[in-house]
Amino acid sequence: MDEFKTIETDILILGSGGAGLMAAIHSHDANPDLDITIAVKGLLGKCGCTRMVQGGYNVAIAEGDSIERHFMDSIEGGKWINNQDLSWRLVVEAVNCIAKLENQFGCFFDRNADGTVHQKAFAGQTFDRTVHKGDLTGIEIINRLAEQVWARGINRLEEHRAIAFVRDTSNTQLAGVVLINMRDGSFTFVKAKAVLLGTGGGPTMYRYHTPSGEKTCDGMVMALRQGLTLRDMEMVQFHPTGLLAGMDTRMTGTVLEEGLRGAGGYLLNGDKVRFMQDYDPRGERATRDIVSRAMYEEIRKGKTTPNDGLYISMGHLGAEEMARKFKGMVERCADCGFDLAAGLVEVVPTAHYMMGGLVFNEDCSTDLPGLFAAGEDTGGVHGANRLGGNGVANSTVFGSIAGVSMADYAGDADGFHDPDLTQVGAAIEAALKPFDNPAGDLNVLREDLLTLMWEKVGILRNADDLNAALVRLDELEDRLHKCGIGDQSRTFNLTWHDWINLESQIVVSRAIAHASLARENSRGAHFREDFPQTGDLEKSRFTCVSLKENQMQVATEPVEFTIVRPGQSLIGDDPVAAPGKEF
Amino acid sequence: MADTIKVEVFKGEGGQGAYQVFDVPRMESQTVLDVVTHIQRNLDASLAYRFACRVGMCGSCAMMVNGSPRWTCRTHVGDVVEDGCLKIAPLRNLPHIRDLAADLVPFFDKMQKAGGRFVAGKEVPQQMLNIDPQSPARVAVDAGIECIGCAVCYAACDVVAWTPDYVGPAALNRAWTLVNDERVADTGWHLQQVALDGGCTSCHSQGACSVHCPKSLNPSQSITGLKRAVAAAFIKGEL
Repeated sequence: MDEFKTIETDILILGSGGAGLMAAIHSHDANPDLDITIAVKGLLGKCGCTRMVQGGYNVAIAEGDSIERHFMDSIEGGKWINNQDLSWRLVVEAVNCIAKLENQFGCFFDRNADGTVHQKAFAGQTFDRTVHKGDLTGIEIINRLAEQVWARGINRLEEHRAIAFVRDTSNTQLAGVVLINMRDGSFTFVKAKAVLLGTGGGPTMYRYHTPSGEKTCDGMVMALRQGLTLRDMEMVQFHPTGLLAGMDTRMTGTVLEEGLRGAGGYLLNGDKVRFMQDYDPRGERATRDIVSRAMYEEIRKGKTTPNDGLYISMGHLGAEEMARKFKGMVERCADCGFDLAAGLVEVVPTAHYMMGGLVFNEDCSTDLPGLFAAGEDTGGVHGANRLGGNGVANSTVFGSIAGVSMADYAGDADGFHDPDLTQVGAAIEAALKPFDNPAGDLNVLREDLLTLMWEKVGILRNADDLNAALVRLDELEDRLHKCGIGDQSRTFNLTWHDWINLESQIVVSRAIAHASLARENSRGAHFREDFPQTGDLEKSRFTCVSLKENQMQVATEPVEFTIVRPGQSLIGDDPVAAPGKEF
Repeated sequence: MADTIKVEVFKGEGGQGAYQVFDVPRMESQTVLDVVTHIQRNLDASLAYRFACRVGMCGSCAMMVNGSPRWTCRTHVGDVVEDGCLKIAPLRNLPHIRDLAADLVPFFDKMQKAGGRFVAGKEVPQQMLNIDPQSPARVAVDAGIECIGCAVCYAACDVVAWTPDYVGPAALNRAWTLVNDERVADTGWHLQQVALDGGCTSCHSQGACSVHCPKSLNPSQSITGLKRAVAAAFIKGEL
C-alpha cells in the first residue's frame, strides 16, 4: 500500500461553500474546545458555487409575507415531491439565518431608501422576498463567512480532495476520510468523530454547465460507494441563458442572468427571429424550465447560430440603459469580446443545479453514523425544482444546523473510531490507477461524456435515449479505466485530477440516467417526451438510487405529505394548520 | 488575427524554474485561462495552475500576464497579446508552489492581521436593522466592499515586494470598510490593527493597486482614509 499520513480532528468539514463555512462556524461557537478542520478542493471560500450566487436569498421577513407562503411557493415549485419537513425547516430557519449573517457575521444586504431591507421579485414566488447584495450576493456571504472562519483558528486543508469515506473496523460507523493533497500528490487519512459532506453537487457532466470548474459531484460518489441512497437525481435544473462562445473556451456555459429576460430581452433563433411566443404566451418571461425546453426544441429544429445555439438581444431596450442596468453582465461579456448592450450574444440552455442528492434528516444526520450532510449534496428540500433564491438559503440554513448537530455528536463521542485500513488502501490504490496505464486521450472522453449527457439525458428525455445513454456510460467508464495519464509527477497534477473528475462524473451521470428512466412522468425540471403528463399529485413518488457491487439500484418511494396534501394550502381562505401552529 | 500565439509559461517548483515556449492556436473567443487550459490539455499534461469560477467571481486564477497581474478568466487574449506573444507567470509577491500556482496563504493571513473581520457587539440584534443606504459612512463601505480577494493588488504593489511585513492594499481596503461600518462595536480596535508596523503608514501611495484592480476599486483611497483616521485618533489620544 502507498504511504499515507494520518491526522486527527474532532470535526472534518468537506467543502467551503455556504454549507461548509456555516457548519464550521456553528460547530466552533457551539463548542470552542473542539478541533475543527475544513478540507476543500480549491482555496477556502473561493471554489464552490455559493460564491457565484447572483440572485439572492429567499426569506419571509417582509410585512404581508409569511413563512407559510414561502413554504407553499417552495412546495408548488417543487411539484409536490419535496420532503415537506425539510422544506418547512428551510423557510423557518432562513429567518434566523439571514439576521445572523448580517448582525453576527457582518454581511450587508441592499436597503430601500428608507433603510428597510430591499427584497426583490424572483420567478415562481408570490411575494417579493429575495434579499440580495446587488447581483453579487454570494460573494458578500462567502467573503464574510471566510473571514469568520479564518478568525476562529479553524484548520484548513486547502487543495485537498476527498476521495473516500472509511468505516470503522465494525463497518457500522464512519471513521474518517481519505484525501489527496493535490499540491504534493500525497495521501492523508483524516480521522474524525463527525464529518460533513458539503462538497456541493454541480451538473458539470453536461456539455453546457454553469458551476465552478472544479465541481464534479465527488461527494455524491463517495456517498454512493458507502451504499447510501441519493434521491431525486433526475431533477437537474437548466438555466436558459448560458453564454455560448465555442467549445474551446471555459466561458461557454456560464450564466447570463435571469434578469435579462425579465427586463424584456429577446431570444432569437439563427434567422434572428423571435420564437418564444410559439411555445408560451409569456414569451421570454416564461419560467426557466419552459424557456429551456423551448430553446432546446428550437435548436433541434436546426435554426441555430454559428455555434449551434440561439441569440439574446437587448439593444431594443436602449444600449446605454442596458449598460447601466446590467453593468456586471455587460462588462463580463465585453471582456470576452461580446457586446451585450447593443449586439447579439449567443446563448444556450446550461445545466445549473441538482435538486437531488443524499437522503438526509432534519438535523443533517444521514444513514451512516458520523456522516452529516448539507447543501447541494443533499436531496429533498427542493423537490422537482428549486426556486431562485432558495439555493443559498438551503446551504446556509442546513450548514448551520449541521454545525450544531456535529458539535453535539463529536462532543458526546467516546474517542475516535479505528478505521478499516483495507478501505484506506483500496481508495489509494484506485486513485493511483491512472498512473499505471499509458497516457490516453482524456479530452475525447470528456467531450464524449458532455455530448452524451446533453443529447440523451438532458432537457428533453425519452426511454430510448436514456437506455442508450446507460449503455454508452458503461462503455465510457470502461474506456476511462483503460485510459491512463502515464508515468508522471503527482505534484499539483491537474490531469490526474481530470481523470478522477471524469470517474466521478460518469458515476453520477449513471445515477441521473437511472432516476430519469424510473420517473415516468414530467415534473419540474424533468421532462419525458414519452410521458409528458405531470401524473397524479396525490400519488407522487420520489426516486432513490444506490450502488450495490458497482451496480446502480433504482427504486421509488411514495411522497409523505406530512404538512399539506395536494389541493390543500397553508395560506388562503381555508388553510390547514402549519406545524407548531393551531388555527 | 494570427493563427497561433507564442506563449512563454513559467514552469518549475518553489520559485526555481524557467520559461518554456508553447505554440497555441489562436481562437476568436479566447481568454488567457483558455490558453493555459489548452496547454495543459493538449501540450503539457503536467502544467499546474489554479482556477475555479471561470467568470471573475472567485479570484483563484490571477497570474502575471506580460508582466502585469490579471484575472486570466476575464482577460481576452486580444487585449494583451503583444506581437503574437504572451508571457505567463505565477502571481508576484507570493510564495511559489508549482508552475503558475502561487500560495495565497500569506495574503489571507495578512487580511486577518489587519483586523479583517466583523466583530459583533455583546447584544446581537435578532432582526435585520434599518440602515440608511445613503449615509456617507455606508457609501464609503459600499465603495470598497466588492473586493473578491484575488490578490492582483497585492502582486502589483512594490511596497509589498520591498517590505515583507506590509499587509498590502486588499487587507487595508477591507479594514477601511469595517471602520466605516456603523454596526461595528469597536472601531478603535480596527484602527489599532492598521496602525501597527506593516499597516497603513507603510503605504507609499504609489497607486498600483488602484490601477490594476479588476473591479475598479480604489484601495489607495481607502488607505488614505485610514491614514487620516489613525492620525485623528492618535491626536485625540485614542491610540
